[in-house]
Amino acid sequence: MRRVGLVGAGITDCRSRWVEATYWNLFQQATKATLEDAKVTTDEVDSVVYGIYNDIFEHQAIPESSLTGIIGMAHKPGVRVTSGGATGFYAMRAAIMEVASGYSDLVLCIGGEKATDCFDPVSKTQTPMVIDTIAKSWDPFFEYPLGATASDSYMQVCMAYNDNYPNDITDPEIRATIIEMLCRQGNRNPYGQRRDEKVTKQQVLESRWIIAPFLRLLEVCMYTEGAGGLLFASEEKAKEISKRTGSPIIWIKGVGAANESYNPGRGGLYKPLHRIESDRIAAERAYKMAGVTPKDIQLVELHDAFIAQFMVTMGELGFVPIGKTRDLVEKHIMADIRELGENEHPKKGQILINPSGGLIFGGHFVGGSNMFSTWSLRREMINRSIRYGLVHGTGAINAVFGGAVVFELE
Amino acid sequence: MSEMVLRPEFNLPKGTSEVLGKDGKTYLQFNSSMATLYQQTYGEHSRFFLALRDAKLIGSKCTQCGQVMVSAATWNCPFCNFAEMKEVVLPHKGILAQTAPITIFPSQSFIGQAPFCRGYVDIATQEKVASFLPSRLRTTTGIPRPGVFVKGIELKLVFKDKREGSILDIFWVPMKEIPKKLRNKAPLFESELNFENPKLPKLKINKNLKPVYVKLLQSLNEMSLKVLKSPRAQKDLAGKKYRIGVKTGGGDFTFIIEKNKMKVEPKVAKKTDFVIVANNPKTFNDWINDGSLTDAVIEGKLWLPSREAFIFLPMLDRLPRSIRRDGV
Ligand SMILES: [Zn+2]
Repeated sequence: MRRVGLVGAGITDCRSRWVEATYWNLFQQATKATLEDAKVTTDEVDSVVYGIYNDIFEHQAIPESSLTGIIGMAHKPGVRVTSGGATGFYAMRAAIMEVASGYSDLVLCIGGEKATDCFDPVSKTQTPMVIDTIAKSWDPFFEYPLGATASDSYMQVCMAYNDNYPNDITDPEIRATIIEMLCRQGNRNPYGQRRDEKVTKQQVLESRWIIAPFLRLLEVCMYTEGAGGLLFASEEKAKEISKRTGSPIIWIKGVGAANESYNPGRGGLYKPLHRIESDRIAAERAYKMAGVTPKDIQLVELHDAFIAQFMVTMGELGFVPIGKTRDLVEKHIMADIRELGENEHPKKGQILINPSGGLIFGGHFVGGSNMFSTWSLRREMINRSIRYGLVHGTGAINAVFGGAVVFELE
Repeated sequence: MSEMVLRPEFNLPKGTSEVLGKDGKTYLQFNSSMATLYQQTYGEHSRFFLALRDAKLIGSKCTQCGQVMVSAATWNCPFCNFAEMKEVVLPHKGILAQTAPITIFPSQSFIGQAPFCRGYVDIATQEKVASFLPSRLRTTTGIPRPGVFVKGIELKLVFKDKREGSILDIFWVPMKEIPKKLRNKAPLFESELNFENPKLPKLKINKNLKPVYVKLLQSLNEMSLKVLKSPRAQKDLAGKKYRIGVKTGGGDFTFIIEKNKMKVEPKVAKKTDFVIVANNPKTFNDWINDGSLTDAVIEGKLWLPSREAFIFLPMLDRLPRSIRRDGV
């Protein structure tokens, strides 16, 4: 297997809606930004991997077909990856494998989503239609007819976690503290969707309930329209590009993925509802491949669909003990951006988590959200000279899809 | 006419409309749809849904490892390289595997059904390995609220009287709510239980709550006067006619809404549309101070008898905001 380096990244502005652009233009914007970042031309790219989650959002069953020419990838191999919320992660995994295998020397990995063209004629707003479109990711025989949604599905996991590990994610103050910290981080993201917002702990605690007791309105990720791109290169190509740009290479050290059974149950290989085994197994695999432990990692961009799940995921990734994820705040394991400023390395024992603002404040264009996370991770690794960083992705019913990538700064 | 797959209001007029961009320029958007109609086969799931129609619950049991799948999602065991699975008839009781979330804000297709509760039921409890059945959960004690569907409670399977072959043909009710003589009845039908007139929950009458109640009545009367001066509030109440009894641990009252006005009587009137219950009268004080009665329901502080009562709350929730926005 060949070494793979990340040599370029670019994202669009993250917006609740882009009336100024279709997904064609969003993908082109992100491709242009990515190639410019790496100072490469479209000719140099060998192949492309698309991350697009949901055909219904784009209103086209093979949306990547209309993108190929427009993003300068005509006559090159192109494959689309779609894996629910974890689409971005799985697209990255496919792009990395393509370079590692020797099939390509330079691969563009580009993901995005156009979510809020959906419109509900009854409420005359977008949200109920967006939720319905996502709910169509559940099967038509058993789960969808019951009225399953992404929120209640992830809350099922959080409530089950709370049944088995009480007094951890329950404290609304802890969750609100994390949100306040994420908001400050999102303010520094020049492309972040909510970069101008100031959300205080008090506002979180007073925001209306979506699902009690772990989900208020200000504890949930956004719907974003946008796109993000990454360039993965072979060792030789990466070194050449790095010379051109003067930017260090971020090496891919480990990739881990695991999907749990769709069916929850007791024993066997059924999905236990009280844990996110997909996250745990994916992270363990990524650490093993990278030859690192969570102690070595001080920068994480995780897929925070919901803040209670953010806490459980940090436990599953091994950064805090399961059942005591509140240590993130109580033991100051989550680094405070006010103390770190723009260029400082996190202190010993601390982790900088979602400096992009995450999916709650930064952006969540589903098919490319994990590319968005990786764009931010690379920026922070270089600016703060952080050796190891981790990007996490999750998705599908009851968080059964999980993925993790460990990166190393040259 | 029979119920249709697409509701008539689920539609948009043909055409385009202009929309303003962030850059100040005009953009065009077109109304469209991606609705597909299906006659989708239940295929291998047909046996399960045919059984539901016959008021039976079946699962599939592996002939090698003995694990049971509920529903019978497959007839070949995924743990034993697809060994044959045989049909097993399952009991009409189960255990709630984990505390279940309550959906308040459903997706487009389920608007009007909320609040509802769905959870995973462990039915083949004798087996070491078994999957859980995703199901709707219902209570005879008012609308679903925290504390009802918690991990480990015993549940009774209930069938709708009219079944079509759908996962919504069945639902589960806490066993302790089932009259003793019906607990072993199988199948048990919806019409044998009383969902329409739930008993009011017992109140903890508390002397300390009396002054809170007195203050609440004052505030409510002040609010009634403010409504008269607030065009927004009057619009909220326009065309509405309700008498809602309210019982609290400090004292009772009735909301009377008619002729764009709101009035409060310091007792539960004889004739009401429904009666709602909150132990602490402060729940309503909080609402007047820009809080939300819907939130109080979601937190379990305010008891409602029915979905009709729940649908009524947003109107009340708007009132304090309307009054504030009109500067009254
Ligand atoms: Zn078996």
